[in-house]
Formats: sequence, structure tokens, C-alpha cells
Amino acid sequence: MNDAHPEEVGRRRSFWRDALRRYAANRAALAATLVLALLVGACLLVPVLSPYDPYDVDFEAANRGVSSEHPLGTDQFGRDLLTRTALGGRASMTIAAAATAVILLLGLVYGAVAGFAGGRLDEAMMRLLDGLFAVPRLPAMIVILVLVGLGGGMLTLIFALSILSWMTTARLVRGQIASLREHDFIRAAEAVGARSGEVIVRHMVPNTLGVLVVAVLLEMPAIILGEAFLSLLGLGLNAPEATWGNIAQDGFHSARPFVMVVPSAAIALFAVGVNFVADGVHDALDPRRGRARARRRVPRLDRIARAGV
Amino acid sequence: MAAIVVRRVLWSIPLLLLVMLVTFALLRGMGGSPFRLEEGGVPPALQVQLEEHYGLDDPWIVEFAHYVRNAATLDFGPSLVNRYTTVDQIVEERFPVSGELVLLACAWAVPLGVAFGLLGALRRNTWADYAVTTLATAMLVVPVFLVAGVASTYFVREWEIVADGWDSRQAKVLPTLVLALAPAGYIARLVRAAAVETMQLDYVRTARAKGLTSSRVVLLHVLPGSLGPFLSAAVPTLALLVTGTFFVESAFRIPGAAQYFVSAALQRDYPMVMGMTVALAAVVIAANLLADLARISIDPRLREEA
Repeated sequence: MNDAHPEEVGRRRSFWRDALRRYAANRAALAATLVLALLVGACLLVPVLSPYDPYDVDFEAANRGVSSEHPLGTDQFGRDLLTRTALGGRASMTIAAAATAVILLLGLVYGAVAGFAGGRLDEAMMRLLDGLFAVPRLPAMIVILVLVGLGGGMLTLIFALSILSWMTTARLVRGQIASLREHDFIRAAEAVGARSGEVIVRHMVPNTLGVLVVAVLLEMPAIILGEAFLSLLGLGLNAPEATWGNIAQDGFHSARPFVMVVPSAAIALFAVGVNFVADGVHDALDPRRGRARARRRVPRLDRIARAGV
Repeated sequence: MAAIVVRRVLWSIPLLLLVMLVTFALLRGMGGSPFRLEEGGVPPALQVQLEEHYGLDDPWIVEFAHYVRNAATLDFGPSLVNRYTTVDQIVEERFPVSGELVLLACAWAVPLGVAFGLLGALRRNTWADYAVTTLATAMLVVPVFLVAGVASTYFVREWEIVADGWDSRQAKVLPTLVLALAPAGYIARLVRAAAVETMQLDYVRTARAKGLTSSRVVLLHVLPGSLGPFLSAAVPTLALLVTGTFFVESAFRIPGAAQYFVSAALQRDYPMVMGMTVALAAVVIAANLLADLARISIDPRLREEA
């Protein structure tokens, strides 16, 4: 406890306060936060409040349009679409959060080891990443799902969605660490005999955190989309389980596209919302950049393009 | 320049080998056998015999070396499920259909995306820019299966305006356009961001100051300078297209490779799945190589670096 210099503590606290202030000044990020909060809130509350059982098949009520009883209508099995979409949102977001955690862990470990080792090992590990990037991801996910065993439920799906998606994070971490290694405070820590594990955990990881938070946030829409792709191909969670992908699959095969529109809109809303939040976090955590957002080279939303790589 | 080309081409060989190894490890390392399905398998004695015949009982390194040697001569072996077809037959039959689908989609997506992106950049912060950028974003985030599902339901089945399948020229218009939407939106966003930056560079200002017409400045100075990010994003663009083919082929009943891939994977047809994956990876690597070379030939700075 006593190893933190008072001045250091004061500065750190004001950095977070500054970051919060910068975030609050960003109207797009605030609006997106609100939209995402509403989306998550709806997913949590609607299944509790709804009078309908999301699994109850009732052909009498099948294929209903929008009405006051069913705000988003019903699907071909007569299940309330609003209730199912909200329930599906829970599952899809849970899968995305878990897969993101796995991606973060794998990317952090791999990137830190490569960045810290440097030299030949680093070179070899980066070439391996190049190879993994060239593996077409959707076909590979299909193969993995088939081999690990379908019907394995959520864990199998999380495994398939994360096991070939951690390379961007790893490359990022490695780049950060490789550049941090040159900094004086790391050299000083090494000079006074800190073990490499200690240097990684105490100095490098905290300094990589900002970049990492943004990267990981941006990974989530791609995973949600990936889940939808796999479910559409019949490789997702078993019916009648509701996920955004499963509901879209019901619509894809029912010749009633509206059933597909609802979860797709939810996915698109989630993707755009997360994108603006990530932008806000990025700008808030980088005091040098301030609000000069226009000079960003590649628009961030485009990570979504990698969903099926 | 020639040295760079040679080096890049040589570099793609170990890359392809690595892809093959990863695919191989995925398929063999995780077990399972086409003859051991829970339902519809074969008797144990026959199973041993079959596995011996197809070399499934060799140590993995022997099997992998064998596979690479054959793949080098484009011989991917027989299918394990359909005994009378070989993998190369299917690859030769199905890949051209999917390839044509993807290339025709590119023929829509690249001009559309570049035009949208340039328009947005040239009319920056006007209603035209906002309209084009919003449209491009929507094209990117609306999942491809939704567009494919809606378009095929109404245009093909409900209103019967266009035929499904892949037989007539008319039937190819809608699916390729649907497949092109997301990549076009993606390219538009990349090009807009890059063109905004290029237009602020000194050489563009110089060209303007020299009194060149604005169309000349845009076509000969801004456009080439803004294609870099798009060319480096060749792999994600291709990924969007490949992912899209799974749903476009399914929605429009196009007899392409993506459809076949899913059923082959479900039947654990190792050689088929592996052959198709390796063929696809080769396409991805080749596309990346071409894009890199195009980037180097456009940007003199990269040529000096290398």
C-alpha cells in the first residue's frame, strides 16, 4: 500500500475523472450508451414482465402481425416475438461476453509473451498469427462446431466463436508491449532486477488497458453476428432455445421475413451502439487526442467485417 | 519491384502450408470418423479396414506429409462419403459457381463503394455526405441473411419477378447485388475516410493550385492516394463476400461451394472439407498478395521501403 507515491495517486484519480468528463462531453457516445442501456434493460425486463411463455407453441396464434397484444407479432409457432427477442438478446449477449472474455485472455497471454520475448520467438509467433489470419473463419468455425460436437450447447458455441478470433487482440497487445519495452520506466524496472513476470503484470498490462478495452468492446458485435451466422446455418443452440440468431433462422425458413427483421434490427442496433461507445471510451482514455476524432484512419465499425473471416 | 514480387510470392508458400497444418490439426486432432457416426455407421471390422484403406490409422505427421505431397499436384483424394466423387471434382464443379458469384458481386461493390466514398469525401459535412455515409453504414451492419432472405422471399417466390438458381443471366443480377451490399458499404467507409485525409495533403493542394480541373484532381490525385486502406482491407472484404455466399447461395438456391461445404462438414467428410478449406485459403492468400502488389505499385513510398 505504501509504495504508491501520494502525487501518483492524486494524478491517477484525476486522470479517471478527466476521462469521465471527456466521455460525458461526447454526445454521440452518451446517446449510444443510453440506447445500449435501453436494449439491455429491455432484454432483462421484458421476459419477466411479459404474459407470454417464450416456448409455448400455439398454432392458433401463429403468424400474427403487429397488434397491441403482440407489439412485434408472433412467429410461425405462435410465440410472442417481443418476448423471444428479449430472451434471445440475453443469450446472444451472454455468448458475446463470454467469448470476448476468452478472446481477451488468449490475446493478452499470446501478445504479452511475444511482445516481451522479442527476437526470434516473437517473429515466429507473429508469423503463426499471419497463418491463422488466412484461415477462413466461418468455414473453420463450422468445422470446429461439427468436430467438437453439435448440441454441446453454449460452451461449444463460445469455444468456436472465440478460438479463431483472438488474433487481432494478440497483435494489438504485442504491438503495445513491444513499444512499451523501449520506454525508460520499463528499462528502469528491468535494471533494478524486476522479474519479467512482474514487469508484465505491474507495468505493461496496466498501460495496455485503454487500447485493450476498446478492442474488446469492438469484438462483441462481430461475435453476435458470428453467432447469428452459425445459427442460420443450423449450427447454433438447439431449438427452441431463443438467441437472436435462432430467431433469425426461424424467419429465414418461414417465408415471413418480418420474423428475421426483428432480431436483425437488434443486432444492427447493438453493433452501432457499441461502436459509438467504443469511440467514446477511446477518446476519453487518450488525453493527447482530445476531441480530434476526425483524424482516425480507419472507421472502427469495420471490425464487423471480420465477423466471418 | 521484381524482387519484391518474388519475395512476396515465395512468402505465401509457407503461409499456405501453415493454413493446411492448422486445418489438418483441427480435423484430425479432434477425433471423430466418417465411419463412426452414431446413426448409420458401419460394422467395427469394416470400420478398421476402411480406416486403414484411407490411411486414417497412420501417425498424423505421415498423413500430413502425404496430404501436402498430393495437394501440391492438386490431388485432394476421394470423398469419404460419396465414393464415386473426388474432392477435386467437387472443387472444380462448385468453386467456379461461387467464384463467379463473388466476382460479379465485386463488380458491383468496388465501383459503388468507391463512388459513394468519394462522393462523401468531396461533399464532406453536407446532407449528401450524411446520406451516403448513413447508407453505407446501414449496408454494412444489416446482416446479409436478412437482405438475402427478404429479397428472395419477395422477388423470387412471392412476386416471381426473377428466377432462382444460376442458369440465366437474369437470375444472376439480384443475388450478386445482394452479396455486394455489405462490401460496398465497407469500401465506401474506407474510401471516404482516406479521401478526406488525402484531400488535405500538399500534393493535392499543389495540383489544385496549378489550375487542374477538379475532375482531373479527383481522378488522378485524390483517388489513387485514397485506395491504400481499401487495398489493405482486401482480406476482410473477401471475408464479407465469402460469409455472404453461404446465405445468398442458400436463399437463391445457387449450387455453389458454400452450400456443399456445410453438408460435407456435417457428414465429417474430412478430405472434402479440408480440400475446400485449403482451396479457399489459397484464394484468400492470393487476393492478399495481389492487393499488396497493387498497393506497392500505387504508392511509391512503399516501393522505397521494400
